[in-house]
Amino acid sequence: MSSVVETPALPRFQPGDYKSDLKPVWCAGCGDFGVVSAMYRAMAELQLEPWNTVVVSGIGCSSRLPGYVEAYGFNSVHGRALPIATGIKVAKPELNVVAVGGDGDGLAIGGNHFLHASRRNLDICYVLMDNEIYGLTKGQAAPTTPTGDKTKSTYFGNPEPSVDPCELAMSFGATWVARGFSGDMKSLVDLMVAGMSHHGFAFLNVMSPCVTWRGDDQFKVMKAKLRTLPEGYDRSSRAAAFPYMREKEILTTGVLYEVHEPSLLDRLEGQRTKAMQGYEGLTTEQVLKVFNPPF
Amino acid sequence: MPTRDLTLAMIGSGGDGVVTMGEMMAQAGARDGLNVIKVEAYGPQIRGGESSCTLRMSAEPISAQGDAVDVLVVFNWADFTRFKGEVVPKADAVILYEAADPTPISEVVIPAAGKATWIPVPFIELATKATGTKAAKNIVTLGILAELFGIPPESVRKAVEFKFGKKKAGVLEANLKGFTAGREFAQALGIDVSARRLEYTVSDSKLVMTGNEACAVAALHAGCRFFAGYPITPSSEVLHFLSEWLPRAGGRIIQTEDELSALGAIIGGSFAGVKSMTSTSGPGLSLMAEMLGLASMAEVPTVILDVQRGGPSTGLPTKSEQSDLYLAVFGSHGDMPRIVLAPTDVEDCFHATVDAFNIAEETQLPVIILSDQAVGQSRRTVEKANLVHEVIDRRTPNADELADYKRYAQTPTGVSPMSVPGTKGGIYQTNGLEHDETARPASSHVMHEKMSRKRFKKLDFVEEKYPLFVHLGPEKADVGIVCWGSSKGPVEEAMRELAAGGVSVSAFVPRIIMPFPKKAFVEYMASVKTLVFLEVNFVGQLYHYLRTIVDLPAGTRVFARSGGMNLSVTEVKSRVESVLSEAGAREEVTA
Repeated sequence: MSSVVETPALPRFQPGDYKSDLKPVWCAGCGDFGVVSAMYRAMAELQLEPWNTVVVSGIGCSSRLPGYVEAYGFNSVHGRALPIATGIKVAKPELNVVAVGGDGDGLAIGGNHFLHASRRNLDICYVLMDNEIYGLTKGQAAPTTPTGDKTKSTYFGNPEPSVDPCELAMSFGATWVARGFSGDMKSLVDLMVAGMSHHGFAFLNVMSPCVTWRGDDQFKVMKAKLRTLPEGYDRSSRAAAFPYMREKEILTTGVLYEVHEPSLLDRLEGQRTKAMQGYEGLTTEQVLKVFNPPF
Repeated sequence: MPTRDLTLAMIGSGGDGVVTMGEMMAQAGARDGLNVIKVEAYGPQIRGGESSCTLRMSAEPISAQGDAVDVLVVFNWADFTRFKGEVVPKADAVILYEAADPTPISEVVIPAAGKATWIPVPFIELATKATGTKAAKNIVTLGILAELFGIPPESVRKAVEFKFGKKKAGVLEANLKGFTAGREFAQALGIDVSARRLEYTVSDSKLVMTGNEACAVAALHAGCRFFAGYPITPSSEVLHFLSEWLPRAGGRIIQTEDELSALGAIIGGSFAGVKSMTSTSGPGLSLMAEMLGLASMAEVPTVILDVQRGGPSTGLPTKSEQSDLYLAVFGSHGDMPRIVLAPTDVEDCFHATVDAFNIAEETQLPVIILSDQAVGQSRRTVEKANLVHEVIDRRTPNADELADYKRYAQTPTGVSPMSVPGTKGGIYQTNGLEHDETARPASSHVMHEKMSRKRFKKLDFVEEKYPLFVHLGPEKADVGIVCWGSSKGPVEEAMRELAAGGVSVSAFVPRIIMPFPKKAFVEYMASVKTLVFLEVNFVGQLYHYLRTIVDLPAGTRVFARSGGMNLSVTEVKSRVESVLSEAGAREEVTA
């Protein structure tokens, strides 16, 4: 992330400064409240200038989040947070760009973009709020819904295997992959700060219960499954991360994977700087010379 | 009598160098200041296979390729038959063909070329003798053509020197030998083809470019500094050109995973304050439909180039058609304003693209440039002096507007001040949801009506400021042709011939389709007796679209047919003549 200003003695921005005055449409008890609160705190910790920060989303309950953050925001169309975020970040690299959305938005309709944003190592942080269900459309199965679960669209139980978004991100080429829980504020803020500070594509999967369509229990069930990574865990190793993928009985949070590789912008900027040499102040006239008969 | 206008066609297989030869002659002609139009056609193979190159060179202004060729070079009759109906020699054409072709000449039948001069040429033998390889037969051919038809020999020789000058020692010498061998062969022929000799005075050299290249340069000219695209025939050249030049100009370019991501990315880029563009063809525009709606709803300036090909679905990927009009004008769910421009030739691609950026920035609307393969991939000479166009930049909110910033403030024109990230006090969160003036989601029917009206109001501004069209021919005419895009060229050529024969014909060619230059068109309709639509799509998309806008006069004729073959001059003439003869017949009956 760029445009991170040095922290003065008294922070210029408090978490509350990132809170817009738009009231969330989320149901009482929704896990996404925890996520947006963590985001305010993480942004304050990083002292991100609101006017140099853009939060981008697709469509879904969680995709309403940009409206609740006092920064530039773009609540786009279903599944397309990452293409929009890609354009913003590549066109204006100095902006801090955060993409957010739900599991249906990011893994079903937007799955292809997830692959490519990860592969490019695009310099953004992508926060996926995973509630294992389609909430806004009122309770249909999502790619993360466990097999066998009865939902509105799987009357006889979900016939499909589910995916682990972290496993996907790692195999797609994301260079920072973490799992958090919206009910664990302190850890979640730390993860967001780390993700937003990561150079390259940072993917944070936040288990964010849906009290309406997954029941009041989902919160308690998730909390009971929580584990942390062991001491001395080697987060630079894919092999070390694999045992923490596709967990069923437990839910391990923390940074599962982190490596440092050139980002998309590093590569683009390197090429661009080189390409511009000798073409400073390029005019149309100069470009048109290409079309002169060369002899 | 020598000629001032010559059309040549060359046909061969991959490796025959037909395309290279055409390119070298085009460059030579441009160097001498001739007007040149070059069209290539290929079989569906990725490499190899048949290819043809048709080249028209003229000392006079020209608008289209022209239908029949003066000079035909055939390296291989089997390949010629694959272009049946596409390459047609004139009755008295000069036909040069490979003497050693396995197809006996007695089996070659070209009914149209009844009075042709047939010249067998041992291309392979000449090339092998002079250069040691048959690969040089296109260079030998250049020598023959230069000698026989007065195609700028000095410039062609320079083209050969340029082409091979940097190759390893001996290559240039060998090719120059081939060129000379061709010229000597032609001199020794003793055949009089002087009526086909091109006569002209050398003038200032011209640029040679394709419509797609003109669009790409125009994007740079207009200040586009972000491009996202997905490869697709026949528009990939824009992506290719900008991948080299956009970084040099300080811009950034990415190849996305699909077309909806491409349009999504440029919506993001433009939202961030950078002029942005994507290019595609019909299948890509289909995918972009959802993003078009977003650009319209969130009011993000975007420029989308669609180089049309035959459709639907994969259709005819390499051939031209004008069948994306409905998609461009009506595509997307909901009521969504957008702008659609239609460039008519290579030079107009430049102007349409700069206009597209200007209109996009002025109105914060998506602007679709509906080019077509015939315009996009034909290569022709352009005068550099004509490639000048005023550039309009985005108006950002002033201090007063930022004091109480409303991203979607109601204004007389419907255009609201657009802040960009980085601007303190200009923060807003946009969305594809219906929203109020401050961009907050709003689902009341009252707000929806109000904001729809605001968004559509922007079209009035464009209709007023950009009534882009071309009126060809006299102010009043018996027949008035309505056509668009690449069809302007053949219509203009046909009109010259028709006018010479005393036929009273004019044409109305819109350069903007949405909003349509209605006022000008209504006046035009009153200036002609019979209105004739000529369209290269099966259903007559422009005709049907116009019926939703204006009352067309009774007796309006529509000639619409599928693409795959560009509108021809002969076709235009025969359509006009048929309309006139019917009208004549009707008058007789009435009398």
